[in-house]
Amino acid sequence: MKRPLAALALFLAACAGPVGKDQDRVLHRRLEGEPQTLNALISTSDPENVVIALLQRNLLDYDEKLNLVPGLAESVDADESRLVYTVTLREGVRWEDGTPVTSDDVKATLEALVDPNTPALYRRSFFADLDKVEIVDARRARVTFRKAYAAQRDAFNLPLLPARLYRGTDVATNPANRRPLATGPFRLASWEGGTIRLVRNTQYFGDPPAFEQVVLRVVPESSSAFQGLVTGALDESRLNAVQRVEAAKDASLREVRYDEIAYTYLAWNNRLPQFSDARVRRALTMLIDREAIARSLYGGLARPANGPLPPGLWPYDPTLPPLPHDPAKAATLLDESGWKIGRDGIRTRAGVALSFTLSYGSASDRQRQIIELAQRSFREAGVAMALAPLEWGAFVEKVDAGDYEACSLSLNLDPNPDLRPNWHSSQVPPSGMNHAFYRNPRADALMDELAATFDRDRAKPLYAELQRIIAEDQPFSFLHTVSVAWGVRTRVENVKSSPVGLWLFWPGAAGWQPARAAKPI
Amino acid sequence: MARFLVRRILGSAATLLGVLVAVFLLLSAAPGDPARLATGGAPGRRAASSEALEAFRAVHGLDRPLPARLATWLGAAARLDLGRSFRDGRPVTRRIAETLPATLTVNGLALLLAAGLAVPLGVWGARHPGGTADRVSGLLLDALFSLPSFALGLLLLLLFSVQLRWTPVFADPSLGLRGIALPALTLALVALAPIARVTRRAVGEALSSPSALSGRARGERPREETMRALRRAAPAFTGLCAALVPQLVAGSVLVERVFGLPGTGQLLADSVFSRDLPMVLGLTLVSGVAVVVSTLAADAAAAVADPRIVDGEGT
Repeated sequence: MKRPLAALALFLAACAGPVGKDQDRVLHRRLEGEPQTLNALISTSDPENVVIALLQRNLLDYDEKLNLVPGLAESVDADESRLVYTVTLREGVRWEDGTPVTSDDVKATLEALVDPNTPALYRRSFFADLDKVEIVDARRARVTFRKAYAAQRDAFNLPLLPARLYRGTDVATNPANRRPLATGPFRLASWEGGTIRLVRNTQYFGDPPAFEQVVLRVVPESSSAFQGLVTGALDESRLNAVQRVEAAKDASLREVRYDEIAYTYLAWNNRLPQFSDARVRRALTMLIDREAIARSLYGGLARPANGPLPPGLWPYDPTLPPLPHDPAKAATLLDESGWKIGRDGIRTRAGVALSFTLSYGSASDRQRQIIELAQRSFREAGVAMALAPLEWGAFVEKVDAGDYEACSLSLNLDPNPDLRPNWHSSQVPPSGMNHAFYRNPRADALMDELAATFDRDRAKPLYAELQRIIAEDQPFSFLHTVSVAWGVRTRVENVKSSPVGLWLFWPGAAGWQPARAAKPI
Repeated sequence: MARFLVRRILGSAATLLGVLVAVFLLLSAAPGDPARLATGGAPGRRAASSEALEAFRAVHGLDRPLPARLATWLGAAARLDLGRSFRDGRPVTRRIAETLPATLTVNGLALLLAAGLAVPLGVWGARHPGGTADRVSGLLLDALFSLPSFALGLLLLLLFSVQLRWTPVFADPSLGLRGIALPALTLALVALAPIARVTRRAVGEALSSPSALSGRARGERPREETMRALRRAAPAFTGLCAALVPQLVAGSVLVERVFGLPGTGQLLADSVFSRDLPMVLGLTLVSGVAVVVSTLAADAAAAVADPRIVDGEGT
């Protein structure tokens, strides 16, 4: 009996040793999954964007308030017609191998982007109306669009691909996707075995970053990542509610938060008789105690959403109140709209029962709890909601096809949002993403007008009216806008947050500093 | 003997083919369009253009009928060409070759550790059956066996990495033994119970057999007696090791997640969720071959040890 135990002790003792002392100048970061590509044009996942944000500057970058600031380009200016944009690159901008970044790279990048074979799903939509790209000189390119669009300049929040490596190739499988040429503060030193190592890019045009190296580790499991954060193996990791409590007790950690430009919602398929009346949809929202859910399930890190725009976006209207939690008023609304409680306790109208199935895909515990709370509140008011959990891929397919009754989802918005894809009546499934099948002629007109309104001061009242209309119609039950909490080790300073998170803006994580170097020299 | 082996190999190959066809059909029939998933689709997000989706389908042959795709894949696989991943377009064989060494090392170490701990425990239990230590160790092993490897891994991580700081929190094969100790230990602890139990029973039977009695009468020392009993129990061990291979493969998926080990387990989980069919088929083939080879080896070893097995099988 003693021998096996001795063997076990020996084995562990053989393994023991000092856990490597961190060098001050190495930043240790977490990736929640393995990146598939480091090509910024076709990246789709958060982990990919974490790495790319350190490797590449964009032509224009967002600052922490989501204003566009110069990046690789010193300016991107539209002419009077708002159809022609002149991109002027900074002087002395180089790829990491020392070759200059030129207007030909701009041209090649845009050509690759609009090539239908390039799976640049997200970014291409911003260049849907691209007409042509012309080279003016080595530093200037002229980009012409077929239609003027208010948020067009935001499309130049765009990284570049080197023309000589990408022109005429299949962008999706180009080997440079795993060995990208950097224009930003860091360059890729190695990528193997779930670990990506970045070092300073000596050819970078801006100030060198304070950290010499960034080591990014793939750690999918949140509880393991938290232990890594506590022990110092990681310098940052997203925190869940339990981890927040633990982190608050740890003097070596601090919490950094940001309000996501996103909201959670229950979508109602407005084509169905159960959901065709706005009074019913408003009643459903008023049955859900969103304040209580924000307190208990989000630990206070959420607030009821008031409509289709989250706070943190420039057109957000803070004066629009969210619908209250008011079951009595909800019952009245349901009665008024003709849904009367039947003998089985379920409301019916013209032989149709107010019952439906809510689908959701690979839900978190919290999402499931929220759905179940809503289900209980609905049941008490005579509304029967059945639940259908689906595998994510299957769920995506059904919602995109408009083949569902109700579903639970969240939506992330762009820094300069366009509400047309989700709310315009021309955008219903299967070709569009207005999966509520929402139709309101006044809302359509406002969205069309906003797309051609370049002056933000003029656009704001239009946006306010639009938010009021959509909130009144409640095509979804808007649930919550959510804050995200991040744990960061105190040895890292100058960690700023923005509505797009801690790093998808400039300087983001490139501006982080080791504590000792925090004061300007 | 040769005939026995050939039959076994043919039978195994047929099983493997069946498994591959089943995986192919299941994953193809499962809802969720790989083209949409590979291009990052989510409801309400700006969708990939239909051209991009069609291009993706054409590149990966997804626009062809199922039987034709299956036949193409099998033909290529026979030439050891497992195709390209849907997600990053890289060859499946290269992705597997990148991740396999870490998984093999951890699993090999786990088997060694498990055998090194469990065999002495089993022998001890067989020699002192019913004693307090036997009962306690039995309970403990059962507890370890019934703990999900995920939870066990997290517990070990808290103890050895967070409290004692002996091992790094995240597995790192480049650190040598220390870097993979915890995932190996987790897998080993789960495998302890079956090995110890088989040992205890086989050795117990051997010790109570007439030959053991006569050995004792000849004045054989306990150590020699045990060694002989172990040799007699060899077929049971080899069979057990073969049975453990699939268990380790499954355990790797969870354990690699807990310790952030970039191995084939994680690759398999990611690939299933993103409907990366070529990757899943490639990994099924590799793990299937591992199971088949270990089973064959066990059968062969058992046949060598006990020729009656071959006789029973023959004609």
